[in-house]
Amino acid sequence: MADSICRTLRDGALEGELAPTLTIKDSLASPFAFHVFSHILLQLSSHIIAQKSQSQGIVIVALKRSPSFYAAVLNMNGVDVASSNKWIHILDCYSDPLGWKEKIRKPVNVTNCSHQISLATSSFKTVKDLDKLFLVITDLGRGLVGENKSRFCVAIDSLSELLRHASLQSVAGLLSDLRSHDQISNIFGLLHSDLHDERAVAALEYMSSMVASVDPYYHSADGQKGSLDKSFSEQNFTKGKFNVRSKRRNGRVRVTCEEFKVEPGGISFAPVLSVDETAIAGLLPKVQFNLQLSEKERIDRSNVVLPFEHQGTGKPIKIYDGRRSLEESNSEANPISSGKKEDSAVGEIIYFRDSDDEMPDSDEDPDDDLDI
Amino acid sequence: MAATRARVSSFSRNVSTVTSQNPGLKHGPNGTMFISSGIPDLDKILGGGFSLGSLVMVMEDEEAPHHMLLLRNFMSQGLVQKQPLLYASASRDPKRFLGTLPSPPSSKGDKSSDISHEKDIRIAWQYKKYFGEPNFNTNSGGQQDYCNDFDLRKPLDRHFFSGNNVDCVSIKDSLNLTALQDYCAGFLGKLSRNEGNISSVGRIAIQSFCSPQCKYSNEEWHMLSFVRSLKSMARSSNAVVVVTFPPSLLSPSCSLRLQHMADTLLSVRAIPDEDKELAKLLTGYQDMIGLLNVHKAARLNTQVPVILEATTFSIKLQKRRFLVLECLNQAPVDGSSGSSYGTSGGCSGSTKGGTLDF
Repeated sequence: MADSICRTLRDGALEGELAPTLTIKDSLASPFAFHVFSHILLQLSSHIIAQKSQSQGIVIVALKRSPSFYAAVLNMNGVDVASSNKWIHILDCYSDPLGWKEKIRKPVNVTNCSHQISLATSSFKTVKDLDKLFLVITDLGRGLVGENKSRFCVAIDSLSELLRHASLQSVAGLLSDLRSHDQISNIFGLLHSDLHDERAVAALEYMSSMVASVDPYYHSADGQKGSLDKSFSEQNFTKGKFNVRSKRRNGRVRVTCEEFKVEPGGISFAPVLSVDETAIAGLLPKVQFNLQLSEKERIDRSNVVLPFEHQGTGKPIKIYDGRRSLEESNSEANPISSGKKEDSAVGEIIYFRDSDDEMPDSDEDPDDDLDI
Repeated sequence: MAATRARVSSFSRNVSTVTSQNPGLKHGPNGTMFISSGIPDLDKILGGGFSLGSLVMVMEDEEAPHHMLLLRNFMSQGLVQKQPLLYASASRDPKRFLGTLPSPPSSKGDKSSDISHEKDIRIAWQYKKYFGEPNFNTNSGGQQDYCNDFDLRKPLDRHFFSGNNVDCVSIKDSLNLTALQDYCAGFLGKLSRNEGNISSVGRIAIQSFCSPQCKYSNEEWHMLSFVRSLKSMARSSNAVVVVTFPPSLLSPSCSLRLQHMADTLLSVRAIPDEDKELAKLLTGYQDMIGLLNVHKAARLNTQVPVILEATTFSIKLQKRRFLVLECLNQAPVDGSSGSSYGTSGGCSGSTKGGTLDF
């Protein structure tokens, strides 16, 4: 659920725990991860402004979109950008990620676009050096929230861009450093899963505590199917499924599914109308025995008088040695018959034969030597 | 050379199971020794514990931290019995993990409830009257036990790991595994097996050794040769090495090779939360936090393999403190679907026992 993701991010990390990390992944079939990202960004911003969240600031690492884009997004959704310098800061890795503009020394001064927006921005020119990126992010964050126990969150747009510039090991190292930093409350980032190989996507999912995937509403199965596909893919332009797998603290995984719809004002989420039967594939070995008892069976079982159970109740104790004395044969109860049901009055143990082709010898009553 | 020495106890069958000098060691079949894994149920499942000199590999599930539970109990057991420990992980400060290790429970009140539970079993046995109260072996909870039941909510006292016998190594920033290999070689060198009695027993715990933030995680042959050399060093020393790794982050061939190298292979798996299907299928679903599979159990010095009765166990936290492994209690499936493990699921919902109240 998108709401529960926002709540988890808002609540942040406990002391001594790694920060919750969300990876939003999408693919070409349903490329709406950025809409989800901005939705979450706006939700977190409103929580921060209302001071309801653990974190008190956001650092946006902007690789894919310019800082002015974020300013516009915040403006459009009613966030007061002018006073936002206290709690939001954008690390501009978009304008000049590799520092090329510096190397081209032009006599004419190029106007620096970042002066025109009102959001606090710093530019970062060495995206390949992720250790330095980590230091800059943490410095900016500390600048926003102060040195004490307060925390900030980090939004990375996008992880795919980082993977373009640096190796998987460095990106994973950056994420793990961010997660274990004491002042970071949560991290969320966006990933286009079809741009990378499976191992990279698996590695980033391994490092996240929540994975939200934006999937098309209808999968077009096995290539083209003609006109049927076209109407489905039109639906994929605006709608889709939002599947979330979140790792809970007790070690279980919560799997949820919602539908989302992209509208001009943003993205909206709704619960799924049709229930999807998920099969628990291959988790458990199949067993053919019923090892449980129903309530009636349990009552009946407790009514059974076991052999030798009555010993020691006042009568002289005798060990049965194959011979019957006169007294015993008089007081014996009725012997047993042949089923496995249990009576409600006096419980009986009834014995089903295992199979029809058992040797006739085994027809002997196995309970012959009991002294019930 | 063996003939001139008097026969030492390894081959005799009359020796009591726990050695008198070292309560942390137990004699096993075929001249092997066992040390405890820290989880009493796991020791029972594996037939005594982890064999000395063996390599235990735990396959992680990328969605669940249950391998940490196994590691924590393993490390705590070693610390409580004063066995030297080497811990390596991919975090910046592995020493912090020691603060999360569980401690043996202090009160013995928890054990009495188990005894009363046992009395609910009614036994039809004609010689019962010759015995007094049944003699249940309870763990005295002291430090001299082979295996302690660890309370996961109570952290281990600092004095257990502030001494010289604990070494923590971070493998995050190392470019390759040679540094870790040297550490392990040094550690195992002090515990090498020579003739005579075993003076001390050590434990090595390596957590998530191929996690993506390690710089060598792409070099699969390098990692394989590291594990191979670690296994051979462990064989000739009095130690047990536990390595956890996430198989989904490796290529299938590398993951299979690592699995083959293990003497004891376990895997942990996550279960979905609040899943109604699973709740119907399994009893005790509320207490379960995951599943444990035993793929291989070590049998050194013999060609006879171990065939376990059950290989899938549920991991439960009893009273949210004690790790308990239980065989799965399942609702029956339609008998016609056979008993193959691993075929695609979809157990039919129409089970006989509709009301599984327990």
